[in-house]
Amino acid sequence: MSKLLIFLTLIPLLPILTTSFSLENPSSRRVLVLLDDLALKSSHSVFFNSLQSRGFDLDFKLADDPKIGLHRYGQYLYDGLILFCPTTERFGGSIDLAAILEFVDSGHDLIIAADSNASDLIREIATESGVDFDEDPAALVIDHSSYAVSNTEGDHTLIASDEYIKSDVILGSKKIEAPVLFQGIGHSLNPSNSLVLKVLSASPSAYSSNPKSKLSNPPSLTGSAISLVSIVQARNNARILISGSLSMFSNRFFRSEVQKAGSPTKHEKSGNEQFLTELSKWVFHERGHLKAMNVRHHKAGEADEPTIYRVNDDLEYSVEIYEWSGASWEPYVADDVQVQFYMMSPYVLKNLSTDKKGSYFTAFKVPDVYGVFQFKVEYQRLGYTSLSLSKQIPVRPFKHNEYERFIPAAYPYYGAAFSMMTGFFIFTAVHLYSK
Amino acid sequence: MVKSTSKDAQALFQSLRSAYAATPTNLKIIDLYVVFSIFTALIQVVYMAIVGSFPFNSFLSGVLSCIGTAVLAVCLRIQVNKENKEFKDLPPERAFADFVLCNLVLHLVIMNFLG
Repeated sequence: MSKLLIFLTLIPLLPILTTSFSLENPSSRRVLVLLDDLALKSSHSVFFNSLQSRGFDLDFKLADDPKIGLHRYGQYLYDGLILFCPTTERFGGSIDLAAILEFVDSGHDLIIAADSNASDLIREIATESGVDFDEDPAALVIDHSSYAVSNTEGDHTLIASDEYIKSDVILGSKKIEAPVLFQGIGHSLNPSNSLVLKVLSASPSAYSSNPKSKLSNPPSLTGSAISLVSIVQARNNARILISGSLSMFSNRFFRSEVQKAGSPTKHEKSGNEQFLTELSKWVFHERGHLKAMNVRHHKAGEADEPTIYRVNDDLEYSVEIYEWSGASWEPYVADDVQVQFYMMSPYVLKNLSTDKKGSYFTAFKVPDVYGVFQFKVEYQRLGYTSLSLSKQIPVRPFKHNEYERFIPAAYPYYGAAFSMMTGFFIFTAVHLYSK
Repeated sequence: MVKSTSKDAQALFQSLRSAYAATPTNLKIIDLYVVFSIFTALIQVVYMAIVGSFPFNSFLSGVLSCIGTAVLAVCLRIQVNKENKEFKDLPPERAFADFVLCNLVLHLVIMNFLG
């Protein structure tokens, strides 16, 4: 009896328990972490703890666990996927390359960390995301001028790089002071993919090669063309982070002190923690995720939205844009949001002014062209999810009784027409009586 | 080829005037009416060239009413001319009735198109 009672009280709670990531409230997200070795869980604990402290529910699994799966009964079990398994040739369970691509295609986020000796599977996932890892499996990024100084001379594969992408939304507004330590494989961006971006690139003196063998041929990847960490924001706003180094996420790199070769300053702590924490905030949509709502338009001086406009009407347009801050929707402030009044090409293109509380508005005159128009906002900025709003509205010409009736400029024509009529009368009279 | 002089032109106009003087009065009245319409049309074209073509429908109806009147008057002149053997069987009353009917239709259309 008591069991039944508990069951009955739990039923109304079910919808709450099963809510997952939604656009309205992208919090309390579940992330699947696939590892080569469960030891990574403790050796990379600082990174994982920072995710957990931000409300993510991490599910650690071995990559070859036969029970893992991304979805069940047609629903995704996770909102994000972290692949810290560079050497895995085959995933266990139902996960394979196609399943991961489908996961991203349905708008979920992905973090891939590769390393030297990365498996073909990881390379294929990266290739599908728009980056190509160096084909030599033993290759590492080597830099003889901007390596991280250590006690032993080493082979200069431990790189200290500070060539970040210049974007506050991707890396946070706080400047990253210390260089980021990187040890791993380099990749290049696919030039035909316009969605992939270099976040951390190698210095111009870097090259990618096997450090243990002599350099017989010129290396295939050199200089700033080598990307160390890249990001992708797909057209469905799914975000992907690709790193050529798994160890850059490790506690050892997070805590290590760093001095870039040739630089006198020695930093107590590398920039890895700040860099990767900020980047993971971006990847998991805690920053740079916009939503637009309350698109409104009406004639100047009226409040209701009309079903049709007339040419040369004065109208007002407003929209509200918010950015997800990780906990709540905050007003988004920018001065470059534009609205188009569009019929095959924009007839009106206007900047929207903002009240800094999320509301954007403008007023303009409907052009002297009738047809079916659209209000369009196409907002695509580096690091932000793209906004694409459109609202259709017809525009009609003047009705016949909306034209001016007596135009002063036309009085001579009126006069001519009437003089022709009187002329006709006089002529008629004269013609009839002149005989 | 004989060189033409101003005397020739004068002689030409003289002969034209003397020939026209023989025209019956009712045809002369029609000619006057045609000249009046053409002149009014020309004034409107000049006016349009100066102030621009803005109420274009008004301009068109003003000018076309003049042209139409002139054309109808010319038609009437052809039909009531005694010299013209082609319309020998057509009584001038019938020609005048046609002229009035056509003018009524013309001015109805012009009124609709004017405003």
